[in-house]
Amino acid sequence: MNHNAWLAALTGELRRHGVGPDLTGHVVAEAATHLAESGESPLRVFGPPDAYARAVADSLGGPDVRPPRRHPGPVRLAARGITKRYRGRTVLDRVDLTVRAGEIAAVVGANGAGKSTFLRICAGLLSPDAGTVAVHGTLGYCPQDGGTAEFLNPDEHFVLIGAGRGLGRAAARRAGRAGAAALEWTPPPRTQARHLSGGTRQKLNLVLARLGEPDVLLLDEPYQGFDRGTYLDFWHEVWRWRDAGKAVVVVTHLLNQLDRVDTVLDLTASRERDA
Amino acid sequence: MTRILVVAETALRELVRRRTVLIILLLFPLAFYLSRRGDHLGQSIRFVCLGLGWALSTAALFAGSAARGIEPRLRLSGYGSLHLVLGRLLALWTVGVLLSAPYFLLILVDQHDVRYGAIALVMALTVLVAVPFGLLLSAVLPRELEGTLVLLTVVGLQMVMDPASTATRALPFWFSREIGTYAIDHTDGGYLTRGLVQGLSFAVALTLLVAVAAAVRLRQRRHLRFA
Repeated sequence: MNHNAWLAALTGELRRHGVGPDLTGHVVAEAATHLAESGESPLRVFGPPDAYARAVADSLGGPDVRPPRRHPGPVRLAARGITKRYRGRTVLDRVDLTVRAGEIAAVVGANGAGKSTFLRICAGLLSPDAGTVAVHGTLGYCPQDGGTAEFLNPDEHFVLIGAGRGLGRAAARRAGRAGAAALEWTPPPRTQARHLSGGTRQKLNLVLARLGEPDVLLLDEPYQGFDRGTYLDFWHEVWRWRDAGKAVVVVTHLLNQLDRVDTVLDLTASRERDA
Repeated sequence: MTRILVVAETALRELVRRRTVLIILLLFPLAFYLSRRGDHLGQSIRFVCLGLGWALSTAALFAGSAARGIEPRLRLSGYGSLHLVLGRLLALWTVGVLLSAPYFLLILVDQHDVRYGAIALVMALTVLVAVPFGLLLSAVLPRELEGTLVLLTVVGLQMVMDPASTATRALPFWFSREIGTYAIDHTDGGYLTRGLVQGLSFAVALTLLVAVAAAVRLRQRRHLRFA
């Protein structure tokens, strides 16, 4: 089944499952972007359209099984007046975001709204034209793609990132494998990252971001290519991190989880204000 | 120190797993050696050193480019830019020594009436210069093709330009011709001194430039403040 046929079938299935047109548009656009960028087969990445649509619909209407929340703690991340222009076009216009320990912030917006740019600025990987970011504690970052070494296996990634965090080899491997297990993934001992599927590589990416228990986690659409089960596991993990007192910022297209986060930063509004 | 060694170890692992690249790396200088083996034995020594330099610079260029994707994440994970640079240099210098050793043995067996110590010195300087040269190209030219073309130009110029002209001293492997002449043609110690000074100067300058380029690229941005 080619991309267009799969996306058309997904659109129909989402409608059939009672998903509204706005969310359907977001889900289909996100899937299309991922497929175009990865070049992978939609059946391999997402599975059959009806199963994926059912997963989306279920996650919308499913019971909220979050563990009880704690009160938010001190400010961990404070972004103030972030402005970024590309070739004369303002992508981010005086954007503010405050995230406390024990809070989840979702960064949403249309394609090109500057979500990844904002996160890269928060991570210090990109300079803004104006504004400041204050981080209280250590930072973990999960990029949308990349961030892994093609010729290293997962254990070697754990050791490499772990050494930066001050973990010994055995401790880094243990921590990495525990993080992977939380996503229902057992890292193959000899498989190099280049041989992992897109979704599995994202799991590795996510586990690496979490290694060493950083205080602030910046996650740029980390669930790309996840199957339904892993996607739900991912959100359960995010809630668990929040309850452990971490500050989590998630860039997302999938609006169905927004009622389960503490803060929503809509960058579409920022651009519309600018226009 | 642990961080530098872990970076060096992983860089070596990555390189060792590119088996085809390793085979080409190993055979590339041999082609240079054999190309002049028939008509001018001494010239084949100069060529094999140039081949080693080219092979190592290319390996360093590609290793540096491949690492660009993960280095920002490593920086955020607690590595300093110097850890990353020194680890990668250490790995590639090790590869350089391992790559040069069989060629030095080949010369020991195949060539007579040459100054072997000086040839070992040329090879050591080649390793010292070629690695930071390739890494520097990967730092300033983000696309591998551009870096490869620059390398091709430099080595091509090194082969065709008159080594006696002043301009060739600006090329990174000029020392190999100079010390090579001392080793093969038994010229006076001036050749050795000039070559040694130029080679060491380039090794130090290129290594410093690689460290500076990494420090600039992976710097903590001014807008970000850790409390």
